[in-house]
Amino acid sequence: MTKAYSRFLTALFCLFLGGLMVWQVLLPDRERSDVENRTLAQWPEFSWESLKDGSYTAAVEEYFADQFPLRDAWTGLKARTEQLIGKTEFHGVYLCGDTLISKVDTPDEELVTNNLSYITRLAEKTDVPVYLGFIPSAAEVWRDKLPAGAENWDQTAFLDRAAEETGLPTVDFAGALTAHADEPIFYRTDHHWTSLGAFYGANAVLSALGRPTLDRADFTPEVVSDDFNGTLYSTSGIHWLTPDEMEYWVEEDGISVTSWRTGSPELAALYERSYLDKKDKYSSFLGGNQPLCVLKNEDNPDGGKILLVRDSYSDSLAPFLAQSFSEVHLLDLRYYRAPVAQYAAENGIDEIVVLYSVPNFITDRNLVLLTQ
Amino acid sequence: MVFSSLPFLFGYLPLTLLAYFITPLRWRNAVLLVVSLIFYGWGEPVYITIMFLSTLIDYTHGILVEKYRDNDKKARRFVAQSVIFNLLLLGFFKYGTFLADNLYLLTGIQIPESVQLLGLTIPLRNVPLPIGISFYTFQTMSYTIDVYRKDAPVQRNMVDFGAFVTMFPQLIAGPIVQYKTVAAELVRRVHSSENFALGARRFCVGLAKKVLLANAIGALWEDCLAAQGAGELTVLGGWMGLFAFGFQIYFDFSGYSDMAIGLGRIFGFRFNENFDYPYLAASVTEFWRRWHMSLTTWFREYLYIPLGGNRGGTVKTLRNIFIVWFCTGFWHGASWNFILWGLYFAVWLVLEKYVFRSVLARTPGWIKHTYTILVVFVGWGIFAMEDLSVCGGYLRACFGGAPLWRAADLYTLHSYAITFLALILASTTLGRRGWERLPRRAAAVATPVLMLASLLLCTAYLVDGSYNPFLYFRF
Repeated sequence: MTKAYSRFLTALFCLFLGGLMVWQVLLPDRERSDVENRTLAQWPEFSWESLKDGSYTAAVEEYFADQFPLRDAWTGLKARTEQLIGKTEFHGVYLCGDTLISKVDTPDEELVTNNLSYITRLAEKTDVPVYLGFIPSAAEVWRDKLPAGAENWDQTAFLDRAAEETGLPTVDFAGALTAHADEPIFYRTDHHWTSLGAFYGANAVLSALGRPTLDRADFTPEVVSDDFNGTLYSTSGIHWLTPDEMEYWVEEDGISVTSWRTGSPELAALYERSYLDKKDKYSSFLGGNQPLCVLKNEDNPDGGKILLVRDSYSDSLAPFLAQSFSEVHLLDLRYYRAPVAQYAAENGIDEIVVLYSVPNFITDRNLVLLTQ
Repeated sequence: MVFSSLPFLFGYLPLTLLAYFITPLRWRNAVLLVVSLIFYGWGEPVYITIMFLSTLIDYTHGILVEKYRDNDKKARRFVAQSVIFNLLLLGFFKYGTFLADNLYLLTGIQIPESVQLLGLTIPLRNVPLPIGISFYTFQTMSYTIDVYRKDAPVQRNMVDFGAFVTMFPQLIAGPIVQYKTVAAELVRRVHSSENFALGARRFCVGLAKKVLLANAIGALWEDCLAAQGAGELTVLGGWMGLFAFGFQIYFDFSGYSDMAIGLGRIFGFRFNENFDYPYLAASVTEFWRRWHMSLTTWFREYLYIPLGGNRGGTVKTLRNIFIVWFCTGFWHGASWNFILWGLYFAVWLVLEKYVFRSVLARTPGWIKHTYTILVVFVGWGIFAMEDLSVCGGYLRACFGGAPLWRAADLYTLHSYAITFLALILASTTLGRRGWERLPRRAAAVATPVLMLASLLLCTAYLVDGSYNPFLYFRF
């Protein structure tokens, strides 16, 4: 090795390590990451106590990882490399051609049994009829798209079991979605259903309740974004797929929305369009997470009242249901801590649907509140 | 701190290199000592005290042995004292809980969780293991013994000795550097851009082995172990798991040794090699001449030969072999499976020495390689599963006590096919031989390209490893 060449290699090594170090120091720290939808670690405050118990150094390591320059580009590079060496699973997300599908792991058996029993207890507590509404996720409906032999928990078996164990009437989301499996009913980069999927879902609910279904011809979908990179985009690190399109189907006229974000009722909207400029575009449906939300259809005062005990899939479903009902009540057990049966009685609810996507239901730890 | 982490690569290492190379030559050992203590204290601030204690004791014992050179009885007593002290350290921190648990099982005597002494609470059981204690106690022990044997000169400079004991490149995962091999370099060594470049190149190789190869296959082993727990393990899955673990531990460990040797080279030290393509061995005996060489050398020089080696007849040789392999197994961890693992190899080594020798000599090469690989990888099963009932169930599955395969195995095989191929090729000398045949000009271009590729990809994997999205997934 000549001296000049050695110096060249030495410089290369030092510049890479030192360069990134300086870059990290000079780079202003970020508060939060939109891609990951979380706040990022900041430089920890020093104390002898935290040094002694190791929490200080652990916090510094977290800071390094969170504030590393070009963080998203590095994770993208890793995903690309993994794809190159034949991997199809990326942090629990399967890459299936141009579509990302979240893997569903075998759940905790005890939790599933308990969650189902809580619904039975709710049905016993209230006179209002209770329906089971479990939405199979893309991993089930689009099972054919998964890589051959990929492990995937059987959601259909769960749906059968749930109906049997609770003895409650069910909404056949599985049938409705499977019948249209060749259409874009789920986002390719997000775990939610699209407005089209929600439309089929709404008809499944209406059929189960013995109501006339909606006609697709009555809607004129408005494309509100062609740049939606959803949760699976973030989790997988796969950043090279074409972003999803997002559509609004239901017109806002005639539907009033009341949100209880702060504990008191506030006027809200069917679509919170400010989210369309952000990463988290799905939250534009009803403005995202909230304890309680009520949709009123002023043109249909005698349509009856439905209560959905629900997860985020209902944000895009509720606008459709508001076509048929006079009131749609959305209750999120993560934030709403009052008894469900009592709420139904006080508000003159006609039907309750416990409406969850299967992956959420089998992992949720708030359903015990149903028994209050 | 570990080498394959962001704070090390983009904080500690550049700052350390800067501090080291702007310091005048005669202060560089002091810099090495200070930065090594910071390195050690990063994860274990409290245990720096043990490090100090160990350094101080062996430093003084080395001097005492030298001082009583003419009084052999006294000199031997100081050697013994140093050895006992090191073994006590190891015994207390590494084996205390294991010994207490087994004492309880055998006699029903319960060692208390902690005792009060001079107003201090001293824990007796479940003491966290100080990182690297198995390595540095062995290094310091060998120092005192070597001084006694006149294999190494006594070190009177406390800073130089401290720099040897704490030297961060080999501190936490070896190789076990014997004092005599670096004694001269501690006083006088060459700092050159060539050493730096060669060291940096070696470091990049080791980093890639650890981050890109070992970590990549480690996840598969975890999956197979989980499948065993769920009762879903198949024959194919079982063997994939054993191979995954065997490759993981090899590339993890040898990658770490490469990084240590590379960093040592940057600072002007030449550490001995620790691995020599062990999976190419054609017998178990040969495997152990190629695997973790600094440990086997240590046990040979400081245990097997002092016990009499193979010079006392068959019975004594057998006894010595079993003692050495009991210790080798136990050194790897305070649990019965490691002891079993050591004795497992003792049995194979004895068989090869006394029974198979003539048979092996007449066996075709590919059979010998297959046999060695099987013995070694089944051994990894014993090594990897501390719970012997889990281990038994797992190995039973591997040897036909389970369905041959299931659909998920084929998916796994498909996902890891290229990774496995890369691991197999990287375990052979193919890469090295190809590199040596490369025209000089091509190698000169390829070196920086590959170094940069290693650094870029490893950074990507390390950043991603910490990737911890909190998404609005649940609702």
